[in-house]
Parts: sequence; structure tokens; C-alpha cells
Amino acid sequence: MISSKLVTAVTFLYLFCTVLYFNYLVFRSQKLGGLAVLSTWAALALHTAAILARWIESYQLGFGHAPLSNMYESLVFFSWCIALIYLLWELRLKTRVLGAFALPFAFLSIAYAALSPGVSDRIDPLIPALQSNWLHAHVITCFLSYASFAVSCAVSVMYLVKARREKPGGAEGGMLSLFPSLESLDSLIYKTIAVGFPLLTIGIITGSAWANYAWGSYWSWDPKETWSLITWFVYAVFLHARFTREWRGKRTAILSLLGFGAVIFTYFGVNYVLSGLHSYAS
Amino acid sequence: MSGKNEKNIVSSLRETLSSLRLTIGLLIVLAVASIFGTVIPQNAAPEEYLRVYKVTTYKILHILGFLNMYRSWWFLLLLALLCVNLIACSAGRFRLTWRLISRPREKLEEPEWKSLSPKKTLPLKGDPRDWASAVREGLSGRFRAPKTIEEDGTVHFFAEKGRVSRLGAYFVHLGVLVILGGALIGFFYGFRGNINLLEGETASRVTLRNGGQVPLPGFKLKLDQFTVSFYSTGAPKEFKSVVTLREGDQNVRSESIRVNHPLSHRGLTFYQSSYGVAGVEKALLAVKEKNAGKEHLVEAKMGVKTELPGSSYAFVLTRFIPDLQGMGPAFQVLSLEPNRPHENFFVLQSHPEMEDRRPGAYRFQIREITPRYYSGLQVTKDPGVPLVWTGCLLMVAGFYLAFFLSHRRLWVRLSARGKETLLEIAGSSHRNRTGFEEEFEKMFQALRAEILTPGNRSQEREGQA
Repeated sequence: MISSKLVTAVTFLYLFCTVLYFNYLVFRSQKLGGLAVLSTWAALALHTAAILARWIESYQLGFGHAPLSNMYESLVFFSWCIALIYLLWELRLKTRVLGAFALPFAFLSIAYAALSPGVSDRIDPLIPALQSNWLHAHVITCFLSYASFAVSCAVSVMYLVKARREKPGGAEGGMLSLFPSLESLDSLIYKTIAVGFPLLTIGIITGSAWANYAWGSYWSWDPKETWSLITWFVYAVFLHARFTREWRGKRTAILSLLGFGAVIFTYFGVNYVLSGLHSYAS
Repeated sequence: MSGKNEKNIVSSLRETLSSLRLTIGLLIVLAVASIFGTVIPQNAAPEEYLRVYKVTTYKILHILGFLNMYRSWWFLLLLALLCVNLIACSAGRFRLTWRLISRPREKLEEPEWKSLSPKKTLPLKGDPRDWASAVREGLSGRFRAPKTIEEDGTVHFFAEKGRVSRLGAYFVHLGVLVILGGALIGFFYGFRGNINLLEGETASRVTLRNGGQVPLPGFKLKLDQFTVSFYSTGAPKEFKSVVTLREGDQNVRSESIRVNHPLSHRGLTFYQSSYGVAGVEKALLAVKEKNAGKEHLVEAKMGVKTELPGSSYAFVLTRFIPDLQGMGPAFQVLSLEPNRPHENFFVLQSHPEMEDRRPGAYRFQIREITPRYYSGLQVTKDPGVPLVWTGCLLMVAGFYLAFFLSHRRLWVRLSARGKETLLEIAGSSHRNRTGFEEEFEKMFQALRAEILTPGNRSQEREGQA
């Protein structure tokens, strides 16, 4: 299938982009930075083409459906969302340093899809439970929120790295000289979560609406649902701690890491460790 | 003394219940408890638990409610506490917020002017009042209906937008409460059960999860047909039950129920949830006359005498066994061969060679078995669902207000400085300060350009009005 080959190509392209962004950090050359941005947009374009190709291929097999239905497709889509959300933030913030920390997530996600023998790239027809328009709304909102949280996690890592180095006696300069100030990193952690949290909420709501249509119950404490709620709780704590208890900096950065840990467990852990309604996604 | 103590206890309890520390603590405890709920299987059979846990562990988990945790008294208590906290916390803050948006500070005092940022000044010629309408015009383009206050020769303006953004958090909190209210209604006034029906059967009752039964309110449900279809890969494509609803002697509705396409009637909703094989409808058999070597293909219905065309031979399929002693599906056949005693024997689908060892003139081969399906419908009544969706909408609306809008305020003061006028403009935004600073700068430049236009001299304007 062409789409699988495209996915493999995109995987290496994201690796290449990540390396470029790191080189940009190390050598502080604007040319390298520009090249990194350009290649990432190119990678996203090719990535989009890969997803569309898979969509077309599914129609050629006779049971066409949007490529959002199994582990492979969701990993590819997750990676696409991370690259897109990252690039949009880059446009808005006009800074390129985040790429070195955000793009590895896009790379890892798609690399897992493309290279892991445990994830099959076969296009399967949709079982009756998945034949619903809610599937699209649910998957798209969930992965856009996960991607926002991934970017937030990347920024949190940057914050913690910079905060550690900036301690009295810590070495100044080097890679860190291009980093935004601690204050702007801190506010960016909040902003990315302020985008991810409503999307996660809509993702959970569309999931419940779908479950109500398919199974007659909008909430059944299935492990995937419960873990999405746990994730929601963690980010709710983040927002309340920041808004009303004026938590800033290291503590909120750690909360954001914790939140992303919950996201990853909701996504993978539940499929591989626990069982439930979403186990068909594995 | 004791009265005072009691008062202290009450007020400190009140303080605790409305504290954000409690909110954060509760969210963390709920999150950790939920983790246990996903690790310990919920509502499984005792045998399943005993396979994993020791008897004492099982008993402890059972007593603490960990086996049906999300409905245990302590989990529900935590949720109730969260609601109380949410109400207390929001109510306390709401009063301040409401004052802020219903009675805005239209005129700032000197110290407030000093502390505000961003701030800009612009020296102008002439009297403050000469500039008032130009400033007013300039502001109107960007902010709705600026307020003007004239006092001791100084003109104050106040304009704001997006104040509803301050209500965002309350919408979200109200949404959470409404959702939990909807869940509570579902818990008390709803039920969930099943109906299993063979094709042609009619149901008038629902079997509940706890084994009880509830009558269908004023109607009966008949399963006309159930079909399963598969993809070429073998994966299921569609499960469909065609049903007729009868009220009294009348057929009121005839519709199909599929996965993701439930049917609602009189407050109940029917979902396609399972299916199974309850027996055999008919079978396609190849019957061979041993001597003539002729083979007949016949379709035989269960329990009905089937005659072989063009002969006096007949047989009855009396019983179907899905798996006969590990040898696969089999029919028990009553053979009615003329001039021979009636015989009873088994015919195996996967072992046609067994037929050769049997005496008698006819040999059977099973070509196709058409199963008789039953359809499993889940029946749900949940009057809380509309409330749950209302709560969800409130939450989403709240997020929009809280995260994507911000309350921006603008104060302008025109004061006399000798024979000239000083324009001071200050702004504040309760969110996204950096974004607002840019907006403020642009706005100031535009305002400046507008009021300094020669045609915009205030005297002329006022003359026209």
C-alpha cells in the first residue's frame, strides 16, 4: 500500500526535522531554524497525503472509512495532530526552539505505528459499534487535545531544564540561550493546557454521546472512560492551582508532566494493561 | 463559651467546605480512587476474584466497597462533597464577580491610575471638553457604548467588553452540577434491562440486571426478523433486528434496530446489544440413495417430516447438537425407510465418512445449517439524559467564555493642565495580558490618529449634534 510507504517516509522525515531543530538550538543558526520549519511543514503535507491515501485505499477495498479506527491509524493521526498543533503555536509565538522538544512526540507516535511489529497496518472494515459519525468527532477532539497536552509536556520539560540551569551557580548560555524566558514558558504551559482541556472535555462528551447511542449508557466506568476522567481531574487540578492558588513555575510544570503521563496511560496503558470497551482499538 | 466554640467550628467548617484546597484535595483523592477502580475489576463474579485474590483480601475489598467502587457509599460521598464544595466555593466567589460586572468602576481614583498598566498619555491643545466627543467616537468603534462622566472640568470615559468571560468558570461548575443531577435522576428513576427474543416472538416485559422484571409501558415488542451480515474478512458488518411495536391490537410502529441506531418509544430506548444461536431453523442436506447412486438436495425444517422427492422415503430432523462429543455439529435423524424398522441416528457435519458404516439405504451429508437466531436487545430508561447533555453544553459554553474571551476594560481621562489638556488612557485585561498589551498599543495609535484628524475637532462636532 502506498499509504504505508508514505507513513514510513514521514517517520524518517520527522526524525530529520527533530535533528534539525536540535542543531538549530546548538548552532543557533537562523538558516538551520528556517530549514527545520520548512521541512516540518513539508512533513505535515506529506503526512496529510498519507492519511488521505489510506482513506482512498480503504474505499478501494470496498469498505471505505476515515482512517481513525484502529491503533495504527490513531497513532498516525496523533502524530499528525502533534505536528499541526506545534506548527500553529510556532506561527503564533514566532519562536522555533519548541520544535526540538515537541517534534520528538510526533516522531515517536508515528514511528511506533510504522515500525512496531505489534501494530498492524492492515485496513479492516468497521465493526458495527464503530459505524457512527460520533467516531470522527470523538477521535478528532481527543487527539487534538492529546496533542495540545503533548506540546504542553514539551514546554514543561523545557521549563524544568531551564529552571535547573538558571539556579545560582548553574551554567548559563549554550543551548539555553535561545529558550524563551521562564515566565513565558510558564504562561505557555498554561495556554497549551487551556486549549487541550476544553478539547478533552468535548472528546469525553462526544465519547459519552456515542456510547449512549451504541450501548445505551453515557457513562459506564469502563477503564478508558475512567482514565480519561482521571486525566481530566489532573488538568482540572492544574487550572485551579494556577488560577486561584497562584501556583506558578516548577509545581505547575510537574503537574503538566503528570497530566501527560495520564494521557499516555489513557491511550496505551488501558489498551495494553487493562481491558474494556476500547480494547478493540489495540 | 460553648456557643462561641460552636460558632468557631461552624465557621471553620464553612471555610473548609468552600476552600479551594478542598477542591484540589478531592480531585486528587477521586483520581487516585478511580485508578484503583480500573485496576481492580468491578462487579465481577466472586469466583473470578478468588482466582486472583486470597479469601481475606477479597473480603476486605468487598467490605470496603472496592469491588463496586463507583457506587460505594464513600465514593458517592466524595462526589457529594465535591458538589457541596463546588457550590460553596462558586457562591462565595460569584458575589465578587457579579459586583465586578454589574457595578463596574467607571471612574478611577489617582492611586488606581498609577498602578494600572498598560497606560499611555497624549498632550492636546485646548479644553478637555473640546475633545470629549472625538474620544467618544474613537472608543465607540472598538468598545460598545462608552460611559462618560464629567466632573470638575475633567472628563472620564469607561468602556469594556467581554465581561461575560468572567462568568465562564460558573458555567462550567454549573454544568458539572447539572450533569451529576442528571446522573442522580437516572440512578433513581431509570433502569436497564434486557429482552432476548427469537424471531416471531413477542415480549411484554424487560428483565432487569438484578433479575427483576418490568412491564413494557402500554406496548408489546415483536421480533419479526434478525439478520447478521459479515464482511468478506469474516468480521461482522451489521446486526439488525426488525421489530413491530403493538399497542393493544394495533401495530403502531415497525422499525429496525441496529448497533448505533437505537429505537425509542414511550420513554424506553432499545439497543441492539447481542445475538446468539438458539437452535436450527433448517438444514440443506444431500441425501444419497446407496443402490441407485442418485443424490437429492433437500431442505429440511427442524421437527418436520421431509420426503425425498420421487420416492417413498422420508425423515425427520429431531434434534440439533452444536457439538457432539467434540466432533462438531450433528443432527439426530429419525429415518422412516419403508420396509425397515424406524431408525434413530446421528449425522455429523464434519465427519461424513461415519455415514458409510451405518446400515440402511440412504446416506446423509449436511451441506448447510441455517441457525435460528435470538436477538438480545438492551432496554434503557434514563430520564436524566437530557439534563446530562444540558450540563455538557453549559460546560462547553463555559470553557469558551473562560478560555477564549477575556474581560477588557479601558479608562480614559481628559484633564486640564493649565491651558492645555492631557489625555490619559489605561487598560486592563483579566486574561492574556501580553495579547492585550499589543491590542492596547494598536488601539491607542488608531485613537490618536482619529482624534488628531483636523475634521474631528470637537467644537464642530458638537455644533452638528
